[in-house]
Amino acid sequence: MKRTPVPPPEPTDEELDRYILTRYALLGIDVSVLPESDADAPMDLERLLANGRSILRQDVEAANFTIDPQFNLPVPHPAPFVAWTEAEQ
Amino acid sequence: MSAREPQDRLVSRRWFVERMAWVSAVAAGSAGLPAGAAGADRRAGAGEARARIGRGLRDVAVRPGVQQDPTEMTLAETVALVRRGLVRPEEVVEAHVDRIERFDGALKAYADRPTRGALLAEVGRTPSDGPDAALRGVCLAPKDNFYTADLLTEGGSLVYRGFRPDYDATAVSSMRAAGGLVVGKAQMGNLAGGRAQVYGTTTPTTRNAWSPDDDAYSPGGSSSGTATAVAARLAVAGLGTQTGGSVIGPGNRQGLTCIKPTFGRVSLHGVIPLSYTRDHVGSMARDALDAAILLQVIAHPDPNDPRTLGLPPAPDFVRAATPFPGESPAVRWPTRVGVWPGYLEQDDGAVNALRRTLVERLVRTGNVTVVGEVSLPDQWDELTGSPLGGSHGDPTAFFIEALRRDVRDFGDRLPRFLNGMLQSADTYVKVQQARMLLLHRMQTQLFSQCDVVLTEGTGPFDGTGLPVLGMPIGVQTDEGTGLTVPVGATLAARPFAEERLFAVAAAWQAVTDHHRRRPPDPSV
Repeated sequence: MKRTPVPPPEPTDEELDRYILTRYALLGIDVSVLPESDADAPMDLERLLANGRSILRQDVEAANFTIDPQFNLPVPHPAPFVAWTEAEQ
Repeated sequence: MSAREPQDRLVSRRWFVERMAWVSAVAAGSAGLPAGAAGADRRAGAGEARARIGRGLRDVAVRPGVQQDPTEMTLAETVALVRRGLVRPEEVVEAHVDRIERFDGALKAYADRPTRGALLAEVGRTPSDGPDAALRGVCLAPKDNFYTADLLTEGGSLVYRGFRPDYDATAVSSMRAAGGLVVGKAQMGNLAGGRAQVYGTTTPTTRNAWSPDDDAYSPGGSSSGTATAVAARLAVAGLGTQTGGSVIGPGNRQGLTCIKPTFGRVSLHGVIPLSYTRDHVGSMARDALDAAILLQVIAHPDPNDPRTLGLPPAPDFVRAATPFPGESPAVRWPTRVGVWPGYLEQDDGAVNALRRTLVERLVRTGNVTVVGEVSLPDQWDELTGSPLGGSHGDPTAFFIEALRRDVRDFGDRLPRFLNGMLQSADTYVKVQQARMLLLHRMQTQLFSQCDVVLTEGTGPFDGTGLPVLGMPIGVQTDEGTGLTVPVGATLAARPFAEERLFAVAAAWQAVTDHHRRRPPDPSV
């Protein structure tokens, strides 16, 4: 019998932090040089991760936004036509 | 094209939406875009622009005695007085360098400067007449994210520490080709964000010209140094860049008149990038006419920046910013002015009073119809808020190697440059779709109600490439510092409506003197 999908539990801060650090590591970016938590430093790991978590959670908002796939922006018609010449490459 | 109509009535709205969609689509591949057609004039239109300045300023009024202090002269007055032989360009340069040497230790507007001797030698090489002398003796302060071959270009950041490009940004090159002088590279917020700081720290550097003895009152960001230099008479005008309010913000905080033109009007070649789709070069000056003159010089197609190609040619901004003749002030073209919802109902009573005076004065201005509060386009909050109104991926794309080298170089701006790594492709696509939908609705729903709108922030106009102008409307007492500081108004309009914005500002400035107020000197 098929199991009915249920929304998975919202990821914790800790899970998102691991995801963020893994993503940066994958790209070869070392964020471990930042101080762990230092309000006097221009940036620390704590603030960086808090910001990253906020960005990830905003993805949900963006996903929830729908644009009618049948909507198209108006374009100029008939289109102006210019020959593609050798000079233009 | 009819000379009697402003350009915003002559350009297809659909075409501009399509153009901006193209910019979004090519953002990822911008580095691979071809340059302009072979053999094209590298600065097509620039010569005509300089000639236009010559014609437009032939009869410009000059305040009596202003030449006693050449740093007080506006750009228009400098051009007129130098041309009439009443002031020598060398005198203008000497006066500015004297003032910079006396006060920039306190104001910290500049990051790097040429020597006095180098500037005087440059004046000596400038032709004394003709289009190439249009800005002869004019002392200018580009933000430190414009490449300059003779000066450091550090972008206010450790990321670019010690960087000396081997060519000038196109906008700088255009100013210099017209005889303008770069008296210094203006300090700026770290990689075009926030107020100017000691690189890699949060210690402020540049002071607001209206707060010359301490740094408590922010100069605004990120074109902080240019705003301070122009307001404090350490330069007559300057170049800023705006991705999210960075020209209009500091301009309004320091009593300047600034314009962020339509996307593509000014080349971004040789400007440290932040966003391929949102960066703009703007002119920062003392009044509408000066801002128009500088924009006239730098607004032209550049084969090195495809975003400038195929646009309507720059119209006569100088003429648009010249007060319309007549007995009472009038805007050059019939113009409907809208008011942003809640614009006149702020918590700050002083700001409200100044805004009311502005609106009341506009009601009495010829050719102006104030249409009252406008209604905002559908889904305004969703389309302009976070995340759909954002641009997280844009700066990340340019800086991957620098991020790998050392993230600490990005200082307090690091999240802005790393965040793009976390945004999904789905979100990025929706951000682009939302931006085009917003642009479409701003043109069909907002600018169907008015030609110019008095607005709060610039964000939605930055993201959609629409022109914005800031101008002073009075002063207030800052609660935090007790200082007397300028208050600015922000006006926005449809694509290619710079003429109309200049015309409204010129009519306002013909009957007010807020743009003539001068901040106190530092106590040194």
